[in-house]
Amino acid sequence: MKREREEILKDLANSVLNMDEKLAAQAAREAIKSGLDAYDAISNGLVVGMNKAGDLYETEEYFVPEILICSDAMYAGLEILRPHLKKESDRRQIKCVIGVVEGDTHDIGKNLVKIMLDVAGFEIHDLGRNVPLSDFIEKAKEVHAELICISTLMTTTMDHMATVIEMLKEEGIRNHFKVMVGGGPISQGFADRIGADGYAENAANAVRIAKHVCAHIATVKE
Amino acid sequence: MQTANIPKDNQTSLERVLCYLQRKNPQRIACFPLILNHAARVLGVPIGKYNRNGELMGKSHVAAYKRYGNDLILIFSTTSTLAEAMGTKMVFFDEDAPQIAEPLIKELDDIKKVNRPDVLKDGRLPVYLEATEIAVREVGSEVCVSTVLAGPFTTAAALRPIDLFIRDLRKNKEWVHELLGICAQAGIKFIDEILKRKSLPIVVEPIGSGSLVSPAHFREFVAPYLKRLADHVHANGGGLPAVLHICGKTKPNWEAMLGADFDIWSLDAVDMGEARQAAGHRVVLVGNVIPANLLKNTPEQIDAEARIVCEKAMGSPRGFILGSGCEVPIETPPANVDALINAARKYGRFDT
Repeated sequence: MKREREEILKDLANSVLNMDEKLAAQAAREAIKSGLDAYDAISNGLVVGMNKAGDLYETEEYFVPEILICSDAMYAGLEILRPHLKKESDRRQIKCVIGVVEGDTHDIGKNLVKIMLDVAGFEIHDLGRNVPLSDFIEKAKEVHAELICISTLMTTTMDHMATVIEMLKEEGIRNHFKVMVGGGPISQGFADRIGADGYAENAANAVRIAKHVCAHIATVKE
Repeated sequence: MQTANIPKDNQTSLERVLCYLQRKNPQRIACFPLILNHAARVLGVPIGKYNRNGELMGKSHVAAYKRYGNDLILIFSTTSTLAEAMGTKMVFFDEDAPQIAEPLIKELDDIKKVNRPDVLKDGRLPVYLEATEIAVREVGSEVCVSTVLAGPFTTAAALRPIDLFIRDLRKNKEWVHELLGICAQAGIKFIDEILKRKSLPIVVEPIGSGSLVSPAHFREFVAPYLKRLADHVHANGGGLPAVLHICGKTKPNWEAMLGADFDIWSLDAVDMGEARQAAGHRVVLVGNVIPANLLKNTPEQIDAEARIVCEKAMGSPRGFILGSGCEVPIETPPANVDALINAARKYGRFDT
């Protein structure tokens, strides 16, 4: 017997929230079988669960391991649902380039921000870690990104963030992009001094700040 | 900065630090700027040479002590050094601390490949020990020399790709405990060699930070293995205190940290007024001027920040030591280290 849409969506959300990869895949398959719209299953199921996980992260009930395993469950469901998505031409996503600066290989923070931005509907272009500074700019130009997110954990590499912003200015394209910075040694004061558009203390905040600095970009259906 | 207003010290650094062990007030509080790789800058050698050459590492710290008068020498290059001796590959930089290039344990079964290190031979542990010997020989009679090792949790997280390791905490608990036991054993062997050289072992557990793992995971995977190290220092250290540094947030874990039985906590992103309440009569507190501020701010700003830290933490029942929250950044202007130590002279007095 087919279950109701609400029940399947609930399973999808709970599977993510409760870090249950198996249930996520199972509920995703059930969603397809029951004729649910894949976009509906993602945005009203999986993403709801991931957002709840993000809330728990913010209130310090979930930590890094929990968020990563929640995202494993979410991506297990997504893998099944994505091929069934109808053409996405009616949705306009904000494009974002993200990476950890050259000289730094610590990427847990960056990966968390990437997951949460992905969940929030940003189109993510992840450059990884130890990224040459010019790559941020080249990639942003190539994909017509609106947002550049730069991360570092180390005081030895934090000034590279200022360099990226200077490079954008030198090319005369500073105002083509919003720049967000974050990571252990970074503060709002530092972000202000180097002329970044936004700073987020953690991954949950990063989504809010990203939406705020990109508020000028229309994301409504065309 | 008005240097005229800075009171003169009438104790040697070692006398000052010993006061904390004897539960007496020193003339003024001690100051532990966590000078690690920055020491290479004082001697004027590249970081990449400092961290692979015991003689240069030792001499760098002697030079830093002579330049600054810091009350603690910390022999250290990176938290992954034990893991390196156990099989993780590092990448070295000319002007930065080494970082993990390739963790050893790709598959769970690779735990069999973990090297039980010969701490006199493997990796760069001999570099640390040689540096320790030099510092103790040259200035050990006037200043406390310590040698830093990573705690079991941090070492385990450097043996396994960290994104997998933190998933293992939920998916492969027993396996994690087995690995932590191996890491604790390696740490204990290294502690023995540190103690033999009349140096103070200091345990750092950055991956156990409350910024990364939950209090439940801290209680299950971090605290019990830290306690093994603290117990070992207590049993074999001839009265030396067990010292623990954890980066980032730690407040949710203070209770578990008390259970791990360390005598001195070096804390980072916490409110020292709150920490003082938790530490009570049991723990000496060290902290916590923000490291990035040491790099970026002016001496006047460092003075003001340190003053606030002192206002919060002075009078902590078991004692308070002014310090940096984490490593003094490599390129920190020397005047900012001076400002931090001078702040201890100005705001940390007991003789007035």
